[in-house]
Amino acid sequence: MKIPHFGRRALLFFASLLFALYVLAPIGWLVSSSFQSEAEITSVPPHWIPEEPTFENFATIFTAKDKVVTYENRKEGDTATGGFIPSTAKNLLPSMWNSLVVAVSVVILNLLVSVPAAYALAKIRFIGRDSSIYFMLTTRVIPDIALVVPFFLFVQQLGLLDSKLSLIITYLAITVPFSTFILTGYFESLPDDLDKAARVDGCSRFQTLTLVYLPLALPSLVAVVLFTFLTSWNEFLLALMFTQTLASQTMPIVVASFTSDFNISFSFINAAGVLAIVPPVVVAIMFERYIVSGLTAGAVKG
Amino acid sequence: MARIKFESVGKHYPNGFVALENLNLDIADKEFLVLLGPSGCGKSTTLNMIAGLEDVTEGNLYFDNEVMNIVPPHKRDVAMVFQSYALYPNKTVYENIAFGLRMRKHPKDEVDRRVRDAARRLEIEPLLERRPDQLSGGQRQRVALGRAMVRQPAVFLMDEPLSNLDATLRISMRAEIKQLHQAMQTTFVYVTHDQAEALTLADRIVVMRSGVVQQIGKPDDIYERPRNMFVASFLGNPPINFMDGTLAMEGGRMVFRRGQLALTLPPHVAERVSGQAGRAVVLGIRAEDVASHSGESTDDCLQGRILSVLPVGSDQFLEVEVEGTKLFFRVGKEGQHKDGDNALLRVNLNRLHLFDKQDSQSLVW
Repeated sequence: MKIPHFGRRALLFFASLLFALYVLAPIGWLVSSSFQSEAEITSVPPHWIPEEPTFENFATIFTAKDKVVTYENRKEGDTATGGFIPSTAKNLLPSMWNSLVVAVSVVILNLLVSVPAAYALAKIRFIGRDSSIYFMLTTRVIPDIALVVPFFLFVQQLGLLDSKLSLIITYLAITVPFSTFILTGYFESLPDDLDKAARVDGCSRFQTLTLVYLPLALPSLVAVVLFTFLTSWNEFLLALMFTQTLASQTMPIVVASFTSDFNISFSFINAAGVLAIVPPVVVAIMFERYIVSGLTAGAVKG
Repeated sequence: MARIKFESVGKHYPNGFVALENLNLDIADKEFLVLLGPSGCGKSTTLNMIAGLEDVTEGNLYFDNEVMNIVPPHKRDVAMVFQSYALYPNKTVYENIAFGLRMRKHPKDEVDRRVRDAARRLEIEPLLERRPDQLSGGQRQRVALGRAMVRQPAVFLMDEPLSNLDATLRISMRAEIKQLHQAMQTTFVYVTHDQAEALTLADRIVVMRSGVVQQIGKPDDIYERPRNMFVASFLGNPPINFMDGTLAMEGGRMVFRRGQLALTLPPHVAERVSGQAGRAVVLGIRAEDVASHSGESTDDCLQGRILSVLPVGSDQFLEVEVEGTKLFFRVGKEGQHKDGDNALLRVNLNRLHLFDKQDSQSLVW
């Protein structure tokens, strides 16, 4: 059976549309409801487009007062938004800062470790090279939850509980093997002769890496940056275990705490959710043109 | 200026594979040396050792009188041209050529002068601002040559630089490389599996096989006086013919005999094998060392049935069956030959090769 050209394209278009809808609808609702008051969110039927758009939710985040919600005053609500501001609202911005510090540190340290490691694995022949690559991969097979207890003891012994450093160290343990694997695949796809040519031309190993390979590996570097940034930005389980106060609590922990208060404000949580997706989206837009090629290059060869 | 010396050099891999065994070789300053052999013979390994891209696991490698075994590539004064060209894809032609000079911290105006100079000589000036993916194979090859040339290195290494070019371009580039060697007055080490390239370019050829040197010598030596059957068969197009047989004394003369065929050995050969009648040997006849013969058969003639005639313009190739062996010859166009005919071919006895049947070493040279 041959589907006519036009029919085929229409079908593809329709399928893509459906998929886009599936992916975008929750985000659309998140964004839309962050501009709605609590009363409007809970109205039936729901409004996709806010009838009375309000910035109050965002305003509260940036001006959250040190207000304790108790059993006595829990019913007062917040007249401005018609919502109920969680007692931990003021923690949101500091925790975002924590998340950013952790994510950026993880990205930078990750690159510092995985780039030279991948170059060595891809271009230098040594005994145990293949087994090291597979060994690193097997670490990705172990679910994080299995590592929580050992990680916890490790962090505790180092006296790093409730410190951002504990998160940076453990996130590196999770992300470095995968980034190294992606980069190794990409470096392997670049010809060995380039490496030789550069070294004969007068580059040391390190200069070969920085002056010749890195500019060529930009797409896969971007993939790695995105992967590590998102992994640490979104990570919840380990952060829940190791953090206790605002000294180290990251955004997912604080957002989650909004649902365990006396009152739950959907509008406020959604506004926080919108803020949470801003940094990853900004990073993605910055590197947009490299993302596809970077991911596929690693995948095909790896 | 560099003289390169290999002293019992070997390359053994941890898995037991031996890429190169006991290489002793002295490459003179300004010499054009060609390493020739089939793939996997260790020729590229040898070249990479000179460049410092592979470790020397046994023996010593010297530049002049200095041991170079563990000197990294960037501290050796060598330049290299690769079969794949290995141009930096993200840099322009100009940047590609200038890169080596910049790495060695030459002043900016000198870099510019040298790059433009090389580009002029290689006739790639109009291409300087392009990127490698916008160039043809031949142009890329020139850029690769330029990149090595500007460095004015003590040793110039080439790893099958012409293998990716088409046939016509390959022949013209051969001439250019030869000129380049004369102009640069430096040591060239050139790796190839193409015997024609080796014969045209080399001052000396090193024939290698499975990591072992088979013969070192001037192109003529290698071609005319091969030490063993491998060297004899590796050079020559179409390849040399081999025929098993025995030595025999007949009528006071030493002859090669196989069935009805008897070829009288020339004095210089007979002398080497005197008193060895009955010894099993292999006779080698180069394709071009026969000529069509008319009239009576003499004691330097081959007789056989023609299996096929292949005209190749200037000459014709004959496939002849002699005493159960298929032989391949090149003869002039004058001789009228047809498939199925009986051919009478006169052999140039002075150019016969004789090898031992057991160890395939030459009995003549």
